[in-house]
Amino acid sequence: MANPEHVMGVVGSYPLLVALWLLPLLGAVLCWAFGPQLKRAAGWIATAIAFVAFGLTLASWGAGTQSLNGALGADQPLVRWMPGFHLGLLLDPLSLLWACIITGVGALIHLYSIGYMEGDSAFARFFAYMNFFLFAMLTLVLSDNFVGLLIGWGLVGLASYFLIGFWFYKPSAVAAARKAFVINVAGDVGIMFAIFLIVQKTGSIGFGNAFAAADTYGPTLLLAICISLFIGAAAKSAQVPLHTWLPDAMEGPTPVSALIHAATMVTAGVYLIARCAPLWSHDGNAQLLVGTIGGVTALLGAVLGMVQWDIKRILAYSTMSQIGYMIMGVGVGAYEAGVAHFFTHAFFKAQLFLGSGLIIHALSNEQDVRRMGGLRKRLPFAFIAMLVGVLAICGIPGFSGSFSKDAVIQGALDHGHPWLYAVGIVTAGMTAYYMFRMLFVTFFGAYRGDIDPSELGIRHPEFAGTSLHAPDGAADHHHAPAWLMNVPVAILIVPSIFAGWLLYGGANSPWHHFFDPQFGVGAIARIPIPELTTTLVTLAFVAVGIFVAYLRYGTKSARAAAVERLRRESLGMSPILANAFYFDVALDALFVKTSEALGRLVSRVLDPHVVDGSVREAVIVTQWSGALARSFQTGLVRAYAVFLAVGIACFAAFYAFHGVH
Amino acid sequence: MATSFAGVPIFDYEALASILFFIGLAGAIARRNPLVMLMSIELMFNAANLAFIVFARAWLNNAGQIFAFLVITVAAAEAAIALAIVVVVFRSAPQVDVDDVRVLHG
Repeated sequence: MANPEHVMGVVGSYPLLVALWLLPLLGAVLCWAFGPQLKRAAGWIATAIAFVAFGLTLASWGAGTQSLNGALGADQPLVRWMPGFHLGLLLDPLSLLWACIITGVGALIHLYSIGYMEGDSAFARFFAYMNFFLFAMLTLVLSDNFVGLLIGWGLVGLASYFLIGFWFYKPSAVAAARKAFVINVAGDVGIMFAIFLIVQKTGSIGFGNAFAAADTYGPTLLLAICISLFIGAAAKSAQVPLHTWLPDAMEGPTPVSALIHAATMVTAGVYLIARCAPLWSHDGNAQLLVGTIGGVTALLGAVLGMVQWDIKRILAYSTMSQIGYMIMGVGVGAYEAGVAHFFTHAFFKAQLFLGSGLIIHALSNEQDVRRMGGLRKRLPFAFIAMLVGVLAICGIPGFSGSFSKDAVIQGALDHGHPWLYAVGIVTAGMTAYYMFRMLFVTFFGAYRGDIDPSELGIRHPEFAGTSLHAPDGAADHHHAPAWLMNVPVAILIVPSIFAGWLLYGGANSPWHHFFDPQFGVGAIARIPIPELTTTLVTLAFVAVGIFVAYLRYGTKSARAAAVERLRRESLGMSPILANAFYFDVALDALFVKTSEALGRLVSRVLDPHVVDGSVREAVIVTQWSGALARSFQTGLVRAYAVFLAVGIACFAAFYAFHGVH
Repeated sequence: MATSFAGVPIFDYEALASILFFIGLAGAIARRNPLVMLMSIELMFNAANLAFIVFARAWLNNAGQIFAFLVITVAAAEAAIALAIVVVVFRSAPQVDVDDVRVLHG
């Protein structure tokens, strides 16, 4: 189905790519090295660099989309390492789209961060990390080979680690950073294993050679490669069962959550599968596996999103769920749809996170929605921003999310996965429920920040994402967000609404024209259920979700009894949901506990008795033989003479008995 | 192969050489005066020389005689070095006893 030709040839080289790639690294080094001197200017420099990078990306549009006789895009060789191992940069529609989002949304979030991080003691360090992340992410998406991709893959994990643990004086942030890094490294190992398999078969690390040989791998090897790659994708993109780090990653500053843990880095798994589309298209089992895991993740994320109280954790589980959609899309073979959902999601999820950042910033770091309420009048702009994001993510017609989500759901059916189709539709309804629940609890009713946390059922305020100091109820104490924070959000509103229209028109849409050379014309058994029906069924579920959320949290009586209701709900929450289906416990028992047991075994048996023991034995033998040899060294010349005589006598006796021969 | 020289059987020469050698060995081991030890060592050298010469005559092979000259040369060199050591030790100690000089004990 997919056309492997596009990666075998590129139309030309494009030196500007190197500048685009290295520019954010320059910014990171500048902010890092001269942070104390630059002070607030560090933020502006980093932001300017992000905007320039975005400009360069747009300037590269022509180079990335050029196509000629099946060759597509541009390639810039960097290092000729050894035969078959050439590192370079590749720009084709897929990497162009990702680079646009990384630099474009990234630049807006940089701008937002200048306002959000104002007054932080490590202002310059933050922007050094942010620019470093842009560099790492560009490395990932611009590489024309698996090794470069893996380098970028590792670097974004590192950037994520830096930024989750940015407030390193919070033990929870440090723990979350470590958890994210360890799980991501597990994924890196998967990709490395896939590279071994590919190099063993093709003798090359380049995408072109690996994909051109896609039909020579044989089913077992191909499945092994796909599964190994998917382990990496699942770890990075928070797919079940490697998703547990994503909610914890919300310990980082909110702009980080928006940029890394919603818009760009966590979608790297989607990029990887879309990039390796020629491999997936050859392997139905891998498609089934990845599509199923994507569907399960979408459903699980939505279920858990329905019971969260921390506004960022709601959004984190929603991110997980939406990435589940994307993975489901690219997994089953609906590459255009999956990538489109990445595209629209990047806007509306960044929008939602930045909007929640406005609230958190205005309420002095309060994140618990139970202590919000009634913010519609106090923060009208944040309300509009969040409302647009919510409508987009729910797939209300006309908003961007509706186009891409319906495309993914329809794609699952078109590629012969009716169960995933059903899961997608049900998840859409649940998404609508938890998003409107958040909206009602946060923005409607009465303000609850001045109520004692225990009356709201908050048992451990210090663990619940609740700020330790009671937020001040007086409106004039909420410092209004600076224009720096409002402008990026306002700009994001536009694509949150309109980006999806690029998909309008099916086979005639701009989106299809853009990606047709990349993924090829699919010979898909066409449409058992027409798209309009899918849209209507999805909308029905969405309406039910919104209606239930309205009944539970939005009606006048529900709002009036909000405190009592929230308390009852918090205290009565099922332990299964409160512990997120015990995935953390299971992973802990499976890997952490076993590792610890192995460590104990080594430290109690292997180390003292085998390692230390052998060293000790060697020491004892040496000491003993040394003492024996020393006892002959009396220092008495006459004793030496005796030894000499005895020795000679022994020789003489030997030859006397045996003869000379 | 000759069995005797000047009417004396070879066995007697060899017996004499052995006796001289063991007297020298006993002196080198038992005496503590370095000068006497040196004299004992000389005795062992010369016992060996006697044996070499006798065997050279007996087998009509001059290698033994050449060896005797070598031994004489080595003995002279050894005596020179040993006496130099004895002089140095004598300077640092009032009375020379080889058992007192044991700084190399392990």
